[in-house]
Amino acid sequence: MSILMGPQPVVADADAISTPAPKRRRPRIGAWLLALWAVSGVYIVPANQQAVVTRFGAVANPRLLPGIHYALHWPIESVYKLKVHQLQRTVIGGDIPDVALGRINPASSEFLSGDQNLLNVRVVAQYSVREPKDYLFQTFNVEHVLKMAVESELARRIARTPVDDILTTEKVAIQNDVLQNAQRTLDGYQAGATISSINIEDVTPPAEAADAFRAVAGARADAIRLVNEAEGYANGLIPRARGEAAQLGEEAEAYKDGKINRATGDATRFTEVADEYAKAPKVTATRAYVEAMEQILPKIKKVILGSKGNLDVTLVRRDDNAAPNPNGGTPK
Amino acid sequence: MTTKRKYTLAAAAFALLLAYLSLYSVRETEFALVTQFGRPVRTVVNAGLHAKWPFQSILWFDRRLRIYDPRPSEFLTRDKKNLVIENYVAWRIDDPTRFVQSVGDVSAAEMRLHDIVWSGLSAALGTQDLESLVSAIPGKAQAAPMLDVLTTQADRAALEKYGIRVVDVRIKRLNLPEQNKQSVFARMRAERERIALQYRAEGEQQALTIRAGADRQKEEIVSAAYKDSERIRGEGDAEATRIYGQAYSKSPEFYKLLRTLDSYKKVLDDKTTIILSSDSELLKVLTRGEAGAR
Repeated sequence: MSILMGPQPVVADADAISTPAPKRRRPRIGAWLLALWAVSGVYIVPANQQAVVTRFGAVANPRLLPGIHYALHWPIESVYKLKVHQLQRTVIGGDIPDVALGRINPASSEFLSGDQNLLNVRVVAQYSVREPKDYLFQTFNVEHVLKMAVESELARRIARTPVDDILTTEKVAIQNDVLQNAQRTLDGYQAGATISSINIEDVTPPAEAADAFRAVAGARADAIRLVNEAEGYANGLIPRARGEAAQLGEEAEAYKDGKINRATGDATRFTEVADEYAKAPKVTATRAYVEAMEQILPKIKKVILGSKGNLDVTLVRRDDNAAPNPNGGTPK
Repeated sequence: MTTKRKYTLAAAAFALLLAYLSLYSVRETEFALVTQFGRPVRTVVNAGLHAKWPFQSILWFDRRLRIYDPRPSEFLTRDKKNLVIENYVAWRIDDPTRFVQSVGDVSAAEMRLHDIVWSGLSAALGTQDLESLVSAIPGKAQAAPMLDVLTTQADRAALEKYGIRVVDVRIKRLNLPEQNKQSVFARMRAERERIALQYRAEGEQQALTIRAGADRQKEEIVSAAYKDSERIRGEGDAEATRIYGQAYSKSPEFYKLLRTLDSYKKVLDDKTTIILSSDSELLKVLTRGEAGAR
């Protein structure tokens, strides 16, 4: 594993190098080499890392924070540095390189849904180190363990969920459930890792039924369109009806006002005239009668009979346009 | 002095050699099995510095949790449905003595685990319906208790025979056999078609409801407006009638005269022929002169 740093390389081994030195100076050289060996045990843990120190194989310091530290060299102490905060990612259900090359093995991403539909699901899990000591020493391969835990929770969750929910509403719930349960499994294995996110990157129906799934999406879109159109119709209709109603109301008010005004006018005029009539009824009546006759009679044909004369009806009926003959004779 | 130093050196070298032969450190990731002429003497579990006799030797065993991840295999459920199941086994060496005597290495251990788990799983699945593994009904799919029992059984067997601790047995994938898939795809397509029809029908229903509601609302609005407008017109007519009545009743005979004359103006037009007697009120003056006016 890339992040697992080996112990510091052994720089100096006092016994091996000291042999060829002259006898007389050996104690001094030996002392120097011993001092060098001791001093070279100083090391730095960078800011993005933490370290675990073991002494004779046993954990002496389970979590060494960034800074300058000192450790005795092999064979006494070893230092394992870890990039604890770095997120690592792993893919479950079809590897990304395979997908990129287009040679995905369909079975590797197939999951069985609760209503026995097959679905291709690809999930990306991100995780980081929580407990460096466990991360390093408890499991043979943390990533493999994590993959298994996530995959089994995913399979279990999908096997309890109908396909439509997986494709639509339940996605986030599935991610959360898988994350929680897989984390619990990992804690049970003391894997020392924290899953920070489970993300369903891809969930698609199998190619053999993909067109039918698309047809459903199309049908849903059609249904939404129909409803929208109907709402558009309603939205256009109601205001127009309100307008029509307002128009009816206004017309009625106008009619009412007009009718009353006209009546008032007529009544006022009549009252004025009637007042005058009351002063001289006979004369006024005669005048009104005669005036009216003056207006009417010029337009119409008139036959005037003497007080005892009889009417020759044929004269009237023969020709409406002919001027009446006072002699009673018929024109030739 | 030189000889003394030589002895000191020899003694130091001997001490180092002795330390090298009898001291050993055990790492966190491993067990040490101390053997004496090939016979296991004791297991060292704790990491750290330990001592042994120089003539004893050590076998190392990785104690970390391992995953055994066999190829998928087909199982038959109680209701005679075939399922392709991938499972994994989380295990670790627990008893190095037994492990070295009965198994030896990791790949051999995996073979043994495969036998134990496969037969356990196959027996367990034989007592379960497919629905207990795969079901959309909430609470129906309950594979966990079965797997817990299986884990316990496998653990007991593996520990006793091989010194292996089975930490967990889990199903990591459920699938259908290849030969069943085509019929499943056909069923999925049929289901989708039904759902598509349902969506369309529901959309139409909703749209029709909305349209009908709008039409009803429109009718309500317009008819209510008609009702009001007729009432208003009636009020106008009534008021006008009242005004006319009030005015005309002051002088009914004059009204009658004027109104009759007005109606003559409308009724009598140029198509009308009127026959007048010279005795008529209008012509009396014409025929009788001044006396006619009296």
